[in-house]
Amino acid sequence: MTHEEELHDVALRELAQRLGARAAERLDVERTAQAVVTRLRQEPRAARRTWLEPAWLRIAAAAVVVLGVALVVRSSSRPPLSSRQGVGFVEPAEAELNDLSAVQLRDVLQTVEPGGADPDAAPAQDMGLEDLSTPQLRALLESLEG
Amino acid sequence: MPPAEPVAAAPSDAALIAAWHAGDEQAAAELVRRHARALARFLAAGGAAESDLDDLVQETFIRGFRALGKFRGQCRFGTWLLTIGGNVLKDAHRRAKRTRSVPLHDDLRATDGDPHERTVADEAEGRLLERLQGLPRMQRDVFLLRAQQGLDYDEIAVALGTTPGAARVHYHHAVKRLKEHLR
Repeated sequence: MTHEEELHDVALRELAQRLGARAAERLDVERTAQAVVTRLRQEPRAARRTWLEPAWLRIAAAAVVVLGVALVVRSSSRPPLSSRQGVGFVEPAEAELNDLSAVQLRDVLQTVEPGGADPDAAPAQDMGLEDLSTPQLRALLESLEG
Repeated sequence: MPPAEPVAAAPSDAALIAAWHAGDEQAAAELVRRHARALARFLAAGGAAESDLDDLVQETFIRGFRALGKFRGQCRFGTWLLTIGGNVLKDAHRRAKRTRSVPLHDDLRATDGDPHERTVADEAEGRLLERLQGLPRMQRDVFLLRAQQGLDYDEIAVALGTTPGAARVHYHHAVKRLKEHLR
């Protein structure tokens, strides 16, 4: 390195040392220090909140997942609507009615009859055969035949 | 004449950091007082506008105190802060690019001293500042840590996560490029 280059290096270094020196001198260090301390004082609360927020979010997300799974399990364990209707209205007339006793048949008829659940409606034993519909009569006969 | 009272030695940075961990807020304030100006010079030389300097210095200290758990004394606290300041400045530049143009460096508008000499000095500083912004970040940081902050290559290498040899190479590349443009 020549003498001229060395001088140039020194000049460059001196120039670099002057960079920002005046701005740094004008910085109000005490005010900056107090501002930093104030922000740090608020920091633990903020930090705690940022730790808590994901925890609450995780709990809420887990609750949603559990609820969703429960709904899926519940809906999949129940038979579809059409088959549920079949159990109550079609199959008993064809097959299961044969296995029912007279008392059970009366209960079935009460549920089939419009207003069957009405407490003011006449009791089943007070009804005559003429009050029964054709399918009801058929079912009754089938059950009596055993 | 009574003997002068012994002057208490200033606590080291490590002692102040320990005191801050123990809940002493004034230890944090003292660390800021001790390192704020060097940090401000580094940030200004890195292209920070004087109007943003206070915010950038504060942000650097806040990030530094947040990350103190990761500081293992691998380099001096002041050097470690400068590297954090470099990241803060990079983020600020990125934000500024998105929102507005980078302001003129108002540090170069000094009015003290002989007007002619001042103008010449301002021009030289302005050219250097401009050229520094054109350097790759590693070269600029190494140059500033070496030429402005007076750190040795070992310290620079630890702070920037490189080797002393590589730091030396970065410095010489930076000087070469700066000289080409300042001639």
